[in-house]
Amino acid sequence: MSAIAAPSTRRSGFRFRRRWIGDILAHGYIWFWLALFALPFVATTIHSLELPEGGYGFEAYRFAFGSFKYDLLTSFKVTGLTILINLLLSVPAAYAFVRYPFPGKGALLSILNLSLYTPAAVMGLSLLITYAFLFHIPRSVTGLVAAYVVGSYPLMLIPIIVALRDLPMVYEEAAKTLGANRLQSLIRIELPLLGPGISAGVLLTFVIIFNEFLVTLFIAGPNTQTAALRVYGLTRTGFLPTTAALAAIMQLVSFIVVLSFFKFFGSRYLKGTYLI
Amino acid sequence: MARAIAPRPIEMSATTAAEAIRPAITQNKRKVWIGRLIGPGLALPAAVVTILFSLVPIGYLVLVSLTHKSDFFFGNRDYSLANYDLVFNRYWQNVVVTVRLGLLASILNLVWGYPFAYILIRRVRYREVVRTFMAFPLFGPLYLAFGLYYILLPGGPLAGLLDFLHIKGTSLLYSEPMTLFGMALFTFPFMVMNVGAALSNVDPMLEEAAKTLGAKPWQVFLRVLFPLSRSGILAGFLMCFGWNIGVFIVPILLGGLPQQRVLSLILQQKAMSQFDYGLAAAMGIVLMFIAFAVTWLSLKFSRGALGA
Repeated sequence: MSAIAAPSTRRSGFRFRRRWIGDILAHGYIWFWLALFALPFVATTIHSLELPEGGYGFEAYRFAFGSFKYDLLTSFKVTGLTILINLLLSVPAAYAFVRYPFPGKGALLSILNLSLYTPAAVMGLSLLITYAFLFHIPRSVTGLVAAYVVGSYPLMLIPIIVALRDLPMVYEEAAKTLGANRLQSLIRIELPLLGPGISAGVLLTFVIIFNEFLVTLFIAGPNTQTAALRVYGLTRTGFLPTTAALAAIMQLVSFIVVLSFFKFFGSRYLKGTYLI
Repeated sequence: MARAIAPRPIEMSATTAAEAIRPAITQNKRKVWIGRLIGPGLALPAAVVTILFSLVPIGYLVLVSLTHKSDFFFGNRDYSLANYDLVFNRYWQNVVVTVRLGLLASILNLVWGYPFAYILIRRVRYREVVRTFMAFPLFGPLYLAFGLYYILLPGGPLAGLLDFLHIKGTSLLYSEPMTLFGMALFTFPFMVMNVGAALSNVDPMLEEAAKTLGAKPWQVFLRVLFPLSRSGILAGFLMCFGWNIGVFIVPILLGGLPQQRVLSLILQQKAMSQFDYGLAAAMGIVLMFIAFAVTWLSLKFSRGALGA
């Protein structure tokens, strides 16, 4: 009470300084962790730039684009196919979950999400034995894409469901009143409005699948080695600057994709999936 | 203008109105039926893919876990619970190590993640920057573990700092603390996500009120913040645990031999170099059971934070 009645200058100055120190500590804590997140990437990049005879240069990257090129191509091909199939599956399914309530909806959603919570090693093992002894399909791109689709499908579904729930029915109703049928209103009204949600799903799928190595380790064949699996294999054999170069390239590609997504759409639609 | 296009009130008794609608209802009955089928029909492709490549493999995994190594590749398979007996006796230490590492890493996540989430929600305006940096763990534990390994090697980028602090980088390597740190760094965003979601629902006025009434900071935390964010803490802890339990690459690169006895690693060796699919499958079932139980609990506590 007395402080309010007669604030002494010395006391308020002390308070001001204490708040200032608190601010520095708080923001310092945040930046400390942000630095820790980026540190492995920075260290990998520095390592990749080291030359065997000392000094720095891009020597390692020249080697990296030898046979690694083909692994990268495989990775892009497999990831692209997965994203395409995920889109074809998840847009109708999200539409069904939000706009057409049907019995057993919650149970179905839980089953669809099941693979998201299966540890990757277990998923890889189960697919390995299923492909080999039950379905009898050889190790191929098809098997790999099927595994990726099942594993990453919920990551696509959830952002679209979130975006669709936020979308008021008003626009659809207006389109219908103006004479559009269901398909027209879907293509011309809802899909453009769902754009950010869908691209959030695409982003998550890309980042996860492009860097996936554990399920791949179990089910990849000799002709379907992805770039992430190559990096994994190389980290087990030694820590050469070329390995670091490959890891840096993978992270850089992923990071550029994430950055461009944030630039175009913001990070709002990733809420509830991975980032706050 | 609005008045001009407003429809004139139609005077009609209740019975005539019902009669007017009735034919429309019978006509629409078929449409309603078709409408009911649209929902399941649209979700059908996704369900089929999930059944074929998720449910069937898991079912087959259960079946394989009951077989023996000796007669797996020949006819007349003998089914028994012998593999589970092995897991719960000879490989029990591996289960313990897995759970122990998962628990400790999740506790670390909580201790470091709670203040992070609190500051992020209450003080930080530059959230886009934070999200951008938090994308690095999203790329997976492989690059994180690789980077951390390189930092600790002699001649790494932080060698000067480590020398200054009299820390031998190589003595940190291949140890439990380093493994835990690697795991915790990967799952950090999951904790921040869950705790942050809970904290953003807590009105800052409540803290102010507690402070005005004379509560000390730790009292504000214990009496106000903690009870109100308990669901987020539990959900985040369990979600981190669910991820940490499937750890694979971090113990390979940063762990010593005791840490490398983690279940997924042993499972991979059993399946891919010893071709003992039965034992590997049994380990997988145990691991999956723990992960599912934990995830189920976390979804229950997070009240559908995942949109599920």
